Order: sequence, then structure tokens, then C-alpha cells
Amino acid sequence: MGFEAASDPLLRLRGVTKLYEAGAGRVVGLSDVDLEIGAGEFVAVMGPSGSGKSTLMNILGCLDVPTAGTYEIKGTPVAGLSSDDLSTLRNREIGFVFQVFHLLPRYTALRNVELPLIYAGVPRGERARRALESLCAVGLEDRKGHLTNELSGGQKQRVAIARALVNRPSLLLADEPTGNLDTRSGEELMEILSGLNASGVTVVLVTHDPAIARRAHRTVYIVDGKLVSAERFREIRG
Amino acid sequence: MTRIDFVEVAMDSLRTNRLRSALTMLGVIIGVAAVILLVALGQGTKNYVEEQFAGLGSNILIVTPGKIETKGGPPIIGSTRHKLTLDDSRILEKKGYLFGGVAPVVFGTAEVRYRNRSRNVSVLGVTPAFQDVRNLHVEIGSFLGEADVDARRRVCVLGRTVKRELFGNANALGQTVKVAGTLFRVMGIMERKGISLGIDIDDIVFLPVRTAQEIFDLDGLFEILISVRNRNDIESGKELAVSLLKRAHNRHEDFTITNQAAILSSLYTILDTLTYVLGGIAAISLLVGGIGIMNIMLVTVKERTNEIGIRKAVGARNRDILLQFLLESTTLSVAGGIGGILVGMAGAGTLHFLVPKLPVSVPAWSILLSFTFSAFVGVFFGVYPARKAAALNPIEALRYE
Repeated sequence: MGFEAASDPLLRLRGVTKLYEAGAGRVVGLSDVDLEIGAGEFVAVMGPSGSGKSTLMNILGCLDVPTAGTYEIKGTPVAGLSSDDLSTLRNREIGFVFQVFHLLPRYTALRNVELPLIYAGVPRGERARRALESLCAVGLEDRKGHLTNELSGGQKQRVAIARALVNRPSLLLADEPTGNLDTRSGEELMEILSGLNASGVTVVLVTHDPAIARRAHRTVYIVDGKLVSAERFREIRG
Repeated sequence: MTRIDFVEVAMDSLRTNRLRSALTMLGVIIGVAAVILLVALGQGTKNYVEEQFAGLGSNILIVTPGKIETKGGPPIIGSTRHKLTLDDSRILEKKGYLFGGVAPVVFGTAEVRYRNRSRNVSVLGVTPAFQDVRNLHVEIGSFLGEADVDARRRVCVLGRTVKRELFGNANALGQTVKVAGTLFRVMGIMERKGISLGIDIDDIVFLPVRTAQEIFDLDGLFEILISVRNRNDIESGKELAVSLLKRAHNRHEDFTITNQAAILSSLYTILDTLTYVLGGIAAISLLVGGIGIMNIMLVTVKERTNEIGIRKAVGARNRDILLQFLLESTTLSVAGGIGGILVGMAGAGTLHFLVPKLPVSVPAWSILLSFTFSAFVGVFFGVYPARKAAALNPIEALRYE
């Protein structure tokens, strides 16, 4: 299994630091983070709010680039890529699942799932076929024609997962995916993520809920922009 | 991302906001319709004037006595004002090798009476050449002949209106009428010409030119009409007339020659300008429509910030976002343009129906121009909002609620 760090990991962060210009001073988002995630792993990132979880997510998801240090996906360094190159990289390698779903309202579930394929240049017929396949994988094929604002929270998040998977990315990034769901829908969703991971999808999950994090094979803890050990984390959390 | 996909994406988002799309288009529809309608109106006015002048012929030179000019110093002794005479006319006829016809004209007004009916009319003293030069022909009987002119015969030709007013349906040929108290025999009736520029051409009595001079006690002429045989020779014809008349008038240019075509073309220039001005005023409303598009697109970009963030997160490049929004604004303006053309043409049709006298016409250039302009407006006013959308940072856009 992948959680014994592979010799050539899927993601590799070396000394990653992220600084933000905020008013007069600088705010440290991440400080000297080293992290490797292998293909097929299921990693949870835990930390209190403001700890740098989101910054780490944004960098892992290629929505942002580090101020210092290197980040490589499949051995390709991300530093120095233009915003268009980052878009292409996100399109091919990364699927996002957000806490607030981030689906296009007034579009059908199927059209939402098709979205990454549109920007991948996949022709229309194949697009619809692959999007439907992806909806089947999360058990929502009978909702394909529904507008997303007609769906329940759990269904919305499953559409989001279908969208994240449709372009067969290397990495599924989930940011508090159960945060807006009731307990049962949250459970169902975690089942789906575990199932996907079992079928080979690499999953990185950001959460502050230890119960959710226990589903992962490995948990990394982040406090004040730095990775810390589990013991140190418990100490800080008291 | 293929071209088809952009169209699909843009159409999708226009459809999701039907009412707003329609209202935005309305601005362009009104602008384009206004351009089409006002240009049609200007063009119609020009057509109307053209129709009115159609009978006048563009190859006519008009010689009138006197010259308006500004001179320095006191008037030179001996530069008396010369009248135009029949001798001048004869010289032009004899030596004017470029001329098709030379028609001296005497003008006056007089009472014409038949039995107990009388009428005040315009009286023209003319020669046989007048018929062809002025393109007015006799319909019944015959026109005045050379012999009638030379012998100063008391004969006349009546316009249609004069004939109807004095004789009704009765035969007028060979009857005697009184013109300014003198008896004249009617030898012809003119064909109907109608009203041109408010003057009833049918309300005229024609006399032999010498007879008219006698009646009105004149020795000069009102004007001499010259038709130039070849339209292209109109300028050299004018020079020829000037040199012939100057020689006859002791080298004094105490007459004025105007070119019918030149007057008309300057009038048409004015009317064309009027059309452009009307079109330009309407174009301003089209511009306002364009600003409406920009306004809506800016609101749209703000409102759809989250959507832009989502699209970027799943792989849309800046260019993809730019093209999507540009295509949306262009679609709005082009669809508005097509709608405006239809509304404008329908409006012009309605106007023609309500005012049949005004020959409104929608020139192809106004359709082409307003359509091109509206498309341009969509691109021009769409670029700024689209660039704004494309430049959004995906993280901030996703955070935006």
C-alpha cells in the first residue's frame, strides 16, 4: 500500500514557505514545510483554524505557488509556472471537493460534472458519456438532469466528487468535505472517499474533526504554519 | 477547448439569465432601430426631393441677366447693366456647337379670361425650342412655331389646369381667350406635369416670346435656358456660353450662368449630410446601449465571481474566461443588432404606410453599418469586464460569496 512513502512520491514539498503581504507586515501562511505523499495514499491534514491548512491546500491544489521552497507533482516542479499552466495542471492532475460544494447553480448535475472536460477539450459526446460514468460512480446517475440547487447537501457533495474525478486526476483534494453535511450524509461521503481510495485514487483530506481524520491512513498536523508531531499537536490542543 | 464549447458555455449563461439578457439587448435594439429608421427618413427626404426635380434635367444651363460681384473702387464708367436679348439667344444658338437647344424665356403674370371666367396665371413667352429644353410637351393641338414667334402672332398654348378652369370639359382648341386684355387663339394644350416644388406647372399660359415682350412691354429676357447636348460637356458648355455672351456684351460679364446639376448636387450634399447627422444622433443611442452592455457585464462578473473561481479551479485558463465573457457580450449586441434591424425596417415600413408621400427607403449601407457597429460595440464594451473576469485570482474568487 502507498502509505509507506514510495521512492518516487506523487507530491513532494521541500522547505515550502508561503508569506502574505498584509497591510504593513507579512503574515506567515506556511513555514518550511517538508511533506511527501505517495500515489494511492489517504492523508488527512489536521489543524486548528488559521493554522495554515487552507494555505497548504491551495498550494497542493496548484491554486497558489510557494514563496520559497519547491513543490513537485510527479517530479514536475510547480514553481515558475504561469497561471495558465497552473490551470492546465489542475485540470489534468487535481480534483477538488470543497466544504461549500462550489457547484454552478442553475446548471444540471451532468453539466457540472462535464465542466473539467470542457476545459480539457473533450468533444461533446465523449464528455457526456464520461460525466455520466462519473455520476454512476457516486450513485447519482438518476439525478443527472436535476439542477444543482434542487439537490440535497449530500447529493451536492457527491456531484462535486463526480466532477473532481471525471478527468481522472492523480489527486483528490477534499477541504472539510463533510463540514456542511449532517452526520449521516457525512458518513456516506466518507464511505465514498474510502472506496475511491481503495480503488487507487490518492486522497488528501483537510479537516479539524479527529473522527473524520481517523478514516485516513496517515494524518499530518499543522500548527502556526508548521508541521508538528501528533504528540506535540495534542499538547497544544490541550 | 474548441470554439463550439465557448458558444455553448456563453449560451448557457445567457439562458440562465433570460430577462436580464433581453433587457440588455433592448438597449442595442433601440439604438440600431433608431439608426435604421432615421437614416431611412433622411434617405426618404432625399428621394422625395429627387423626384420633384426629376423633370428638370441635369444638363441645363440657365443664363440670367445681371451679375452679383464685389468690386474695389468706384464703378467703371460704361459698365452699364446689359439686358439679355433675343440677339444673345440667337448668337448662342448659332455658335453654341455644344448646345442641343437654346430657349429664351420671358416671364410675367397676367389675367387670362374666357367668357365670364378669369384666372391669374403665370405667362411664359417662349420659342419652339422650349419644349425639348425644358422637357414639357404639348398634348393636344400643336406648340408655338417659329412663324408664330417671328410674326408675333396672337396665339397661345394652355397648361392643363388653365384649360380645365376656363373650359371645363369643353373643347378649347381654336377658341379665343383674353390674356392681359388682348385676344389670343388657343392652338394647343400641354400634357399634365403636376406640381413641382410647390409650383403648378400646369397653371401656365405659353405665348410666342416676341408677343409676350409686346404684351408686357419688355425688350429684354427673363432668362435663357440652354440644354447641353452631352452631359459631360456641361462645364465647357458653360465656358462657351460665357465667352460668346461676353463678346456680344463688349467684354462685360453682366450675366450669370448657373448650372442646374451643380445646384442639385449641392442640395443633395445637404440632404446626405442631414441623413448622416440623423444617423449619427441615432448612433449615440447605440453607444448608450453599448455602455448598458458594459454595465451589465460588470455586474455579471461581480455576481459570478464564484462561478469564475470554480471554472478556474477545474482548469479554465484566463483566456477561456476572457473569451466566454466576450462572447456573451458580443452575442447580446449582435442579437440586439439583428433585432434592431428588424424593428427598424418594420418601423420604416409603418412610416411609409402612414405617410405614403414620403418614399422612405432603408439603404443597405445603413443595415450593414449599424450591424457592424453593434457587433463592435459588444466587443469593445465587453473587453473590459471580460478582462476583469479573466484576471480574477481563483482563491479569492472561490472565497467570494
